[in-house]
Amino acid sequence: MSDLLNIYIQALDSANSGIIITDNTQRDNPIIYCNKAFEKITGYSHDQIIGHNCRFLQAQDRSQDERFLIKSCIEQGKDCRVEIRNYKKNGKLFWNELYISPVKNEKGEITNFIGVQNDITDRKKSEHELREEKSSIEKKILERTKELVESEAFLSSIIQTVRESLLVLDTNYIVLSANNHFLNSFKVSKEETVGKLLFELGNHQWNIETLKELLTKILPTNNPVIDYEVEHVFPHIGKKVMLLNAYRIEFEGQYKDRILIAIEDITEKKETDRRKDDFLSIASHELKTPLTTIKGLIQILQRMVPPDSSDKFENTLDKVAMYVDRLNDLISDLLDTSKIQSGNIELHKEEFDIDSAIAETIDNLSLAAPNHTITLNGKTGVAIMGDELQISQVLNNLISNAIKYSPGSDKVDVYISKVGNFVKVSVRDYGMGISAQDKSKIFERFFRVRDIQKKFPGLGIGLYISHEIIANHNGTLWVESEIGEGSTFSFTLPILNK
Amino acid sequence: MVCDDDQGIVDVLEILLDAEGFNVITEINSTNLLKKIEVHKPDLLLLDLWMPLLSGDQVLKTIRNTESIKKLPVIVLSASVDGSDIAEDAGANDFVAKPFNLDDIINKIKVFLY
Repeated sequence: MSDLLNIYIQALDSANSGIIITDNTQRDNPIIYCNKAFEKITGYSHDQIIGHNCRFLQAQDRSQDERFLIKSCIEQGKDCRVEIRNYKKNGKLFWNELYISPVKNEKGEITNFIGVQNDITDRKKSEHELREEKSSIEKKILERTKELVESEAFLSSIIQTVRESLLVLDTNYIVLSANNHFLNSFKVSKEETVGKLLFELGNHQWNIETLKELLTKILPTNNPVIDYEVEHVFPHIGKKVMLLNAYRIEFEGQYKDRILIAIEDITEKKETDRRKDDFLSIASHELKTPLTTIKGLIQILQRMVPPDSSDKFENTLDKVAMYVDRLNDLISDLLDTSKIQSGNIELHKEEFDIDSAIAETIDNLSLAAPNHTITLNGKTGVAIMGDELQISQVLNNLISNAIKYSPGSDKVDVYISKVGNFVKVSVRDYGMGISAQDKSKIFERFFRVRDIQKKFPGLGIGLYISHEIIANHNGTLWVESEIGEGSTFSFTLPILNK
Repeated sequence: MVCDDDQGIVDVLEILLDAEGFNVITEINSTNLLKKIEVHKPDLLLLDLWMPLLSGDQVLKTIRNTESIKKLPVIVLSASVDGSDIAEDAGANDFVAKPFNLDDIINKIKVFLY
């Protein structure tokens, strides 16, 4: 029997868990047995342990909830399991996973308690670390989410503030969102707009076949719709001219194949343009009326020159006549600009021989500018479909400029050649040249190079008109120039294919 | 006959045509023109387009629709850019842009009078 007991005791000493037995029949339930593992876990020796109540392991840390749980279990004679902070002999904290189970006699009285303990400090520590890490990750996620919300709020505040109407559509042209400017401009509510098919909005004002066609091409081809003009009578706001731009948009990972439509109201701009054009036409007509009288009267004076008058008298009259013509040309230029601007210029397109048209223009100019030698080089032998009068106006402008802006030189070279399917005409002067920064602007309306303004009067529309005329003929007009080296203006015109 | 709402132009044409030996009748109010044509039966009319109350092309259309005067040669004079198109549509025999050369006017008149 005692052999068997020895084996049991040896088994208990071999266990990894600390094991104690208390005697509940004695006062304060003292420890009457502890195994080796318990000594090892706590750092106390067998002798320092026996006779103590288990609570000695709690040192001064006596307010733990677990303690009250243990107490109530012991009083009721129940099993319990707790994780409790205990302290080793050296004062070092360790987490103790404690199982307590009561031992009862035949009468059911509790004679002993068996306590099994495991040092779970390491496990607790890693659990704690895990918790910490988890909470730090959660914190980061919260921060990131906040950032995203903020940046989305930032972007959306921009979208809501811009003075351009913006719509986002899904692949089926259902409106996903509309900004404030859209809602305000079209006097519609969010409810009437978001979630609806674009083509069914309002009184179907967006239900335009060409627009539909353009939009259906955006997603598959990724071709944006640029500056598409829509004129329509809109409910609440009346007749408007709108400029539409539409793009495919995608946001990595979130969505793709959405369409952003930006809508600009150009009604007012159109109206202003129209009024400006009207004003220019009326102004030029009104200016030309008294000019007609002046010119007529001068011509009458020229006819009435007495035979014995001096040459000086006649020359003076001729000069007045010349300046009246110049004034008339300026007024005509203004009007041409107005017509070009409003797109009203009429092209009287006919087939014509470009070589002879150019030669004729040069002949006429040579008479008017006897101090300059205008040389024509080359020949194409082809025909052009276009407005001969306008093309010779362009050449006229270019050669007149070449003469005007090269006061120190007396020659202008004109080159004509066949380049692929185009005729290329170049006017080369040996004058002052154009700076790189001015080069990009000289084809703009009313642009004049600053230093030039005083020396050479003009409105700054000749090149603008020329540029527009060539563009209307599907050609291009450009310039190559260096300051002090002169300039070469060239234009191309498509050859008529027969 | 000359009809233009601008007195200066009327004067110039009157001086010129008078000097050339023509018998000139002038009118600056286009609403009186038709009556005046009926009365004076001119050989030719120089007509402006932009005139208040009744525009030149309106007058011209009426002339072309009035049996007694529909054959009257009319040369339209205008400073308006689309003047020549309007003149042609209204049934003008010829067109001269303002400001004009007196020689042009004389030459064009002569086409119809000789």
